[in-house]
Amino acid sequence: MKRNIILIIIGLCLALWPLGGYQEGIVILMCINCVAAMGVSILTGFTGIFTLGHAAYMALGAYTTAIMTVRYGVHWLPAVIAGGLMAVIIAWLIGVPTLKLTGDYYAIASIGLGEAIRLILENWQSFTRGSRGFPGIDPYTTRVMAVTIFILLAILMFNMLDSRLGRELKASRDDSTAASLMGFNTPHTRMKALVISAFYCGIAGSMLGGYMSFIQPSMFDMMKSTELTAVVVFGGLGSMSGSILGSAAITLIMEYFRDISQYRMLIYGLLLVIIMVFRPEGLLGSHEVWDFMRFNFRKEADKNA
Amino acid sequence: MAFTFSTLIQQIINGLSLGSVYALIAVGYSLVYSILLFSNFAHGGFLVVGGYACYFLLTQWGYGVAVSMTGALFASGLTAVITERLAYKPIRERTSITLYLLIASMGVNIIIENLFVVTVGGRIRALPQNTFPTGVFNLFGGVALSASDIISLVTAVIFLSLLQIFLNRTRWGLAIRAAACDIRTAGLMGVNVTFLISLVFFVAGVLAAVGGIFLSVRYSLYPQLGSITTKAFVAAVIGGLGSLPGAVVGSLILGLAEMLTAGFISSQMRDLVVYSLLVIMLLIRPAGFFGKTISEKI
Amino acid sequence: MLELSHVDMFFGGIAALHDMSFTIHKGELMGIIGPNGAGKTTIFNIISGVYMPTAGTIYFQGSDITPLKAYQINRLGIARTFQNLRLFTRSTVLENVMTSAQNRYINTYKEEFFTGNISRTNAPDPESWYSFIESCLHLGRWKKTEQVLRFKSMKLLERVGLADRANQIAGTLPYGMQRRLEIARALALSPKLLMLDEPAAGMNPEEVFELNDLITGIHKDFDLTTLVIEHHMDLIMKICPHIICLNFGAKIAEGSSEEIQNNPEVLAAYLGSDEEEVI
Repeated sequence: MKRNIILIIIGLCLALWPLGGYQEGIVILMCINCVAAMGVSILTGFTGIFTLGHAAYMALGAYTTAIMTVRYGVHWLPAVIAGGLMAVIIAWLIGVPTLKLTGDYYAIASIGLGEAIRLILENWQSFTRGSRGFPGIDPYTTRVMAVTIFILLAILMFNMLDSRLGRELKASRDDSTAASLMGFNTPHTRMKALVISAFYCGIAGSMLGGYMSFIQPSMFDMMKSTELTAVVVFGGLGSMSGSILGSAAITLIMEYFRDISQYRMLIYGLLLVIIMVFRPEGLLGSHEVWDFMRFNFRKEADKNA
Repeated sequence: MAFTFSTLIQQIINGLSLGSVYALIAVGYSLVYSILLFSNFAHGGFLVVGGYACYFLLTQWGYGVAVSMTGALFASGLTAVITERLAYKPIRERTSITLYLLIASMGVNIIIENLFVVTVGGRIRALPQNTFPTGVFNLFGGVALSASDIISLVTAVIFLSLLQIFLNRTRWGLAIRAAACDIRTAGLMGVNVTFLISLVFFVAGVLAAVGGIFLSVRYSLYPQLGSITTKAFVAAVIGGLGSLPGAVVGSLILGLAEMLTAGFISSQMRDLVVYSLLVIMLLIRPAGFFGKTISEKI
Repeated sequence: MLELSHVDMFFGGIAALHDMSFTIHKGELMGIIGPNGAGKTTIFNIISGVYMPTAGTIYFQGSDITPLKAYQINRLGIARTFQNLRLFTRSTVLENVMTSAQNRYINTYKEEFFTGNISRTNAPDPESWYSFIESCLHLGRWKKTEQVLRFKSMKLLERVGLADRANQIAGTLPYGMQRRLEIARALALSPKLLMLDEPAAGMNPEEVFELNDLITGIHKDFDLTTLVIEHHMDLIMKICPHIICLNFGAKIAEGSSEEIQNNPEVLAAYLGSDEEEVI
């Protein structure tokens, strides 16, 4: 409960603090990236499924929402939700056969699947306008909207992790054989994680479309997928608050280096290597922020239980 | 596009030629995988280093083709070794989680790519025309067989045979094969594992450079050229991760599939076919054609 | 309660188990001994559904469980521990136990009126279950159920003597404690049949002594049927009234501890393979 209140306060600050147009844009971008990072985090950090194709789910969300709002004049709210659901449906179709794969194999398959979805969007000219991109999307992603969605999804995510579902995912991550021998239907478990993660990435994509007013398949290429996963690793595998902080930090760092844009990617690459060499467990390891703050509080709760 | 016999032959030639370049890249990648069990995404970076080294040795410093190519191979091999020492070794020593290596390798790839963007610029370059013989032999029915096709095929065969001899006939080759079975046991048996891993990376870097030079002759040279290694990864997976013959077979299949799609369907579908092949293969036989399925002890 | 009937298991032509048949009755505490590589763990893997036997049938409470998957078999009330520890290493000790405590299933058996077949339904124990929506919103049964799970898990941890470690990350526990945590985690499923795979491996004599008490204690208190694999002969001899001995994938002896100790084939199997293990 305390956690939710803190999140809501952070949300109110982000949404209502007077900011200039430029800073407002950064806040929106941060929210979008955090939503996507949460999606990848539940899959990679909490279920141990390493993905290199999640930009595709963002693309699905973005295109679904864009086409619904521009072509069919649907209001953005149902269209954004539909974007998330579209990602869920495709993720489910993909997951049924591919989630059997483990380790590097799933990662490589996800590259293939992600690229395939991007290429389909690129080649389906009549529907998506292909590689020229899809312009003229309503700028429905305002700061208030982005922050609201982010906070809402964050609360849901933390609740999920602090429940039987969270334990189920972690069990399957730490030892999937042992998990199946403790009565978990592990393919099912992995599917749940994939579907939830696709939903979050789909929503993030929809928000991105509304923020940029223009989307293009090349915005969702393998580089973007890599970035999504890298951010989660940077924040700490198995730490949701770490993923959010990591994502926000990376967004800010990247914005800070906007002026020397040719060095941006170089710095990003260096950052990845340095983190892996010096602190591979990421910013927070597998702890959440409050583990550091109220360790004693938790202990007491157990005593009272 | 109408189906004609000559198109078929032409695309088979193109496919084998492309496949042989993939094979050079895929074999190096597979070699590293067989020892350290992680996907080395920096492999594309090694290839770019090779390409640029060759370009600058040829054009800026005016060395001959032989010297430039040898220089390029060394430059790329050394880059691979340095990468291993600076980035991978500290991680390997700390944990056994290969995911960290994988992400570091992506980082290295991004670094190398953008080092070139920053220093020499992102513009597209071409190796001088006279680097390789450029003759074209016109076969029957308008089928063209260019000298570069022949050279890339022949070079690939030479390098892959050399690798095979190295692995099968030398002491270090034996050590590498032993390490591919079980690196820790190999270490306990007195193999200098650090040196061995460096050696593997050097060999992989050299092979990547050969591939890089061919790619920059065939297409052109730019910092993002390394992204083509994704296809070589696909080839290695189709053949069976960690298996060298698998990598070669997978590469040839992929090259042919790509060129036949380009010839008979449309060249936009090329990549789609590649990735579909990958996914289908993973679903039917995740260990690829030649890979071994590992079962866990419970 | 559990019956193996002519079970064969081949791994690429090598027989890990051959014509294995035995029965455990309800409430029994049975031991399986045998030298390394005799197929002890394979028996557990087959019963728990990690492997499907090449031939033969396994009956649990009268119904055929051979074709079921591991998680389905588990839900019928068969829990096990592992020879090489398989905890959820990055979760806390308490979470480890709660993870399996949330997975209780209630099996109801019904005899079909006409055919006489026994049909079985599996339903999650309502006391430890709540829906996905409740997980997301932390409403409804969430709070109460989590409290119940926590309470039950803490009790189990107290039982195995790990209550003061509840918030430690499981992977950082000392070896002997990890073994006991595995037992607590298996007990949290409230199984009918508990299978312990080399519970004393790597323990010092004092810890083995405590383990003796623990195993016999939980066997009594939790109304369990227990199956223990060990190659520490003395542990088995002390606690198990009913023992079978394996060698090269086949059963060579079955009986009480005296019978086993005096069986010439058993002695030969042990002396012939590894002297140190005869104690």
